[in-house]
Amino acid sequence: MRAYLLRRLWQSAVTLVGVSILVFVILRVIPGDPAKMLLPEGAPPSAVEALNRHLGLREPLWVQYAIFLRSVVRGDFGQSFQYRSPALRVVVERVPATIQLTLAAMALTVLAGVPLGIVAAVRQRSAWDYASTVVAVLGQSLPNFWLGIMLVLLFGVTLRWLPTSGFGGWLSLVLPSVTLAAFPTALVARLTRSSLLEILGQEYIRTGRAKGLGEPRVVLRHALRNAMIPLLTVLGLQIGTLLGGAVITESIFAWPGMGKLVVDAIFFRDFPVVQTILILSATIFVVINLVVDLLYTVLDPRIRYG
Amino acid sequence: MTTPRLTRRRFVVGSGALLGATAMRPRAARAQARRGQIIAGLSERMLTLDPANHYSISSTSVLRHVYDPLLDVTNDDKFVPALAESWKALNNTTWRFVLRKGVRFHDGTPFTADSVVFTLKRVRDNTKLIKSFVYQDIDDVRKEDDVTVTVTTKRPFGSLPAHLTMLGMLPPSAGGNEDGFFTKPVGTGPFRFTSWTHGDHVELEANAGYWRSSAPKVDRLTFRFIPELSTRAAALRAGEIHVIDRVWPDMVSTLKGTSGIKVHDVPAVEAQRWHFQLAREAGKDPRVRKAVSLAIDRNTIIKELLLGYARPVVSPVPPGLIGHTNLGQKPYDPDRARAILKQAGHQNLTLDFVLMKDLYPKQLEIAQAVAAMLGDVGVKVNIRNLEIATAREQRSAGNYDLFFSGWAHMPHDPDWYFGQWFTKAGAEKMTRFNDSRVEQLIAEGRVPDPKVRQQKYEEIQKILWEDEPEIWPYYSVAIYAVSDKLRNFEARRDYYVLLHEVAIA
Amino acid sequence: MTRLARHPMILLGGLILAVVVIASAAAPWLTSADPLKPSFARRLTPPQGLGGAAHPLGTDNLGRDILARVLHGGRLSLVLAASAVALAAGVGVLVGLAAGLIGGRLDDLVMRLADVQLAFPVIMLAIAIVAVVGTSATALVGVLALSGWVLYARTVRAAVLTIRETDYVEAARTLGAGNVRLIARHILPNTLAPILVLASSQFATMVLLESGLSFLGLGLQPPQPSWGLMLAEGRDYLSNAWWLATVPGLAISLVVLGANLLGDGLRDLLDPRLRQ
Repeated sequence: MRAYLLRRLWQSAVTLVGVSILVFVILRVIPGDPAKMLLPEGAPPSAVEALNRHLGLREPLWVQYAIFLRSVVRGDFGQSFQYRSPALRVVVERVPATIQLTLAAMALTVLAGVPLGIVAAVRQRSAWDYASTVVAVLGQSLPNFWLGIMLVLLFGVTLRWLPTSGFGGWLSLVLPSVTLAAFPTALVARLTRSSLLEILGQEYIRTGRAKGLGEPRVVLRHALRNAMIPLLTVLGLQIGTLLGGAVITESIFAWPGMGKLVVDAIFFRDFPVVQTILILSATIFVVINLVVDLLYTVLDPRIRYG
Repeated sequence: MTTPRLTRRRFVVGSGALLGATAMRPRAARAQARRGQIIAGLSERMLTLDPANHYSISSTSVLRHVYDPLLDVTNDDKFVPALAESWKALNNTTWRFVLRKGVRFHDGTPFTADSVVFTLKRVRDNTKLIKSFVYQDIDDVRKEDDVTVTVTTKRPFGSLPAHLTMLGMLPPSAGGNEDGFFTKPVGTGPFRFTSWTHGDHVELEANAGYWRSSAPKVDRLTFRFIPELSTRAAALRAGEIHVIDRVWPDMVSTLKGTSGIKVHDVPAVEAQRWHFQLAREAGKDPRVRKAVSLAIDRNTIIKELLLGYARPVVSPVPPGLIGHTNLGQKPYDPDRARAILKQAGHQNLTLDFVLMKDLYPKQLEIAQAVAAMLGDVGVKVNIRNLEIATAREQRSAGNYDLFFSGWAHMPHDPDWYFGQWFTKAGAEKMTRFNDSRVEQLIAEGRVPDPKVRQQKYEEIQKILWEDEPEIWPYYSVAIYAVSDKLRNFEARRDYYVLLHEVAIA
Repeated sequence: MTRLARHPMILLGGLILAVVVIASAAAPWLTSADPLKPSFARRLTPPQGLGGAAHPLGTDNLGRDILARVLHGGRLSLVLAASAVALAAGVGVLVGLAAGLIGGRLDDLVMRLADVQLAFPVIMLAIAIVAVVGTSATALVGVLALSGWVLYARTVRAAVLTIRETDYVEAARTLGAGNVRLIARHILPNTLAPILVLASSQFATMVLLESGLSFLGLGLQPPQPSWGLMLAEGRDYLSNAWWLATVPGLAISLVVLGANLLGDGLRDLLDPRLRQ
């Protein structure tokens, strides 16, 4: 077990370094000039060149990376090209809003998706099952922005029950988290249903039934625990998606989260901010994966790592 | 006092406020506008608090409330005194500014010639600053006495006053500790800086000691950055904010139909320009350019796609700026276009039409309309809607035939436009435009004398109008939507949202 | 066949998909309206219903018939999604087989590579790829496939690892069966089921992803009526012309519904553990 842990930690570190190198190189190789983005359209080429030099972008690639690594170790992720402020500060400013939105969306996903999936599985082939399929399909296929804008028009403009946008207070969290949770909820519902169905058909469950344990107990105790495994995988992946993929929701609701920050930074070629976010999110992603893998051993005693 | 809204809403807001008391970040004016505070929703986020370090319209707009420049430009295109009471060109390369007395910065220090010297020398010498390249022509900035400054330039710099309308004056104390200064900057403007959350909003509070007694008229000013138009409009319609900018024509009817909202529109100092790549086969041939120009039905674009919120172009320089003249409207004649193309032997032409994604309202729609119009005369158009950074790279590389762009004259002076796009040095890595007559005229147009400038610019435009290195399809119209609680709001032609003299009922 | 009948989900899902596919393929015969030609006088006409009207589903911001566009667009979006799934599955299965069979350092390398790639938001990869090779159908399929191969690789690898240890495979090996034979005879048949299930639900994902990428300007170029582009163009008109975005949205929903039903049904059918 310990050997496995150490190996995974080592691999995680390698992954992170790989990510940082890849980000660094990709940003500097793809076309798109940060100085051009900062200067107005009518700036002379000499000004563009001078600014690129100031930003340190005319050094050889490996020199830039070495400088970058040296500062990162000291906690300095460079100056954001857009905001002329430390990149780390710009990113960290977005953390509270991002965490709020992510947690709220995750909570909604689990609270809505899991029961939906359970009901669909337990009442397989019934009207409940088909209804939940329809809901799942809608959640997966309705365009994010369509749902968001419709909710804003209904609850924000027409009814004026909720704020139309912006970050501040519980009320402003409602619409964005509902919009963001629609897709993962659908996914989780389907996954819960299929995992549960799989397990409900298995031997040891049938044994449990035969032993006379009441149906709810069978379901909740044994089946659900094992259904959690693939569910956890998906949840883990979803956190990553939510962090980086919430850009449309964040745009619609003017929610100052990291999704929009990273996409804006990529379009603007704000290298330091992109690097900071990707490295941070890769770290989180790797850590979550590690935790999920470890949780597997807790949930399913048959899985052991050598 | 604000009139009470629906009771149900007040109840919900009230209970929301109770819940929100434990909220993570309480916001003062969440759902209802308060007296004494104006909240504006801007389409473009502010990037910096340093007036010398950006060229964004939005940042200029916001920072104009915190800093004053030496002079301002009014909405009818006159230059008026701000921190400079008067200015004069002593000769072709010397400007003298006489400053206003009795002005203080927000921290109490007096505004004197030292500020002007510091601000100008800083922007010229620190080449890391975005505005630096504009001021490279400044030779020396000399303080004559506390209220007089002389600026000498290396070559004639007739547009200097115009540029100075965009440069806020800084206190000399900012030098030496710029990072510290810009975390809590002070200017001489009608509002003091309170806080800035990157990419989200800026808070300002009134400067009671402002040198102009008619400003400010509210206690607090908040600028929120909401790039999504539908969100911006929704916030206005829900009464959460009081003014929005950059409204699209299609949104106008919805906004007009909402009670409590007024829509203002005004022709902007912006001309759309689709420029040809003059080094490629299509752009090189003036007959092709002429044919393309004849094939585009500008009036249909203005009327049907922009719903009348645009104006026909009569000269590349929009009305109100020096150099504007009337060269008549470009005709729409697809038959002649076909004939010219046939004569020129270009019957199966393909043009790459590059757009910078999401930059101009309805650009994709307009580009598709143009593609259809050009298709009618036998020219195939490939629309390439690229993200901005990539599009600009393609432009520098010359990988386009027609490029969808615009030029908003900020500052209010066409010298930059001509110098950038129609001199050899400026156009070298872009359109590859090269015409020595035009180059000569541009240099001659730099002198301070407005009569000379007008004449030179008219000559330049006559040449360009005939030569057609660019298509100027329409002048833009700036559309704003405002809560009718606001008093004295002025819809500006330069897209700025200036709230100095605006009051809230 | 009778087994199929006991799984109405497969039939229903397959039927829905078939309807969408056939309608898209038959677009030129189902409607004579030109999906590409603007008509300024007829901008933004609301849906007129199916009673033989000129524009049953209305027209868009350039006066183009929406029914024609959504049908023609289906050809684009569906073909792109299908190609992406095929490419992702092909690459993923090969990589998964290699990782599982050869194991060791190759396995580690591949899995770490997958992790690294997963740590990047798809958007960033899309922007990078498009910035270099430009927008085109090929680039789009490449980006879509890139986002999907890992799932296949992981699934196949897991299956290989499990099966590798079973008795009959051990036996087969001792009898001298080479890797290829092992793959063909024992491994692939067992992995076919999960791959099919994955492919059918991934089809839906690909359609959605294509629409998201076109939405961000990273997919096909206008005036092609891919569903994603239609959504993007309709977004600005949601408050005054809802049908622009709603129609392609519904089309996408239909495809997702069909693919999901098909996938779930296939899983029900093919999963050996569910045989009663």
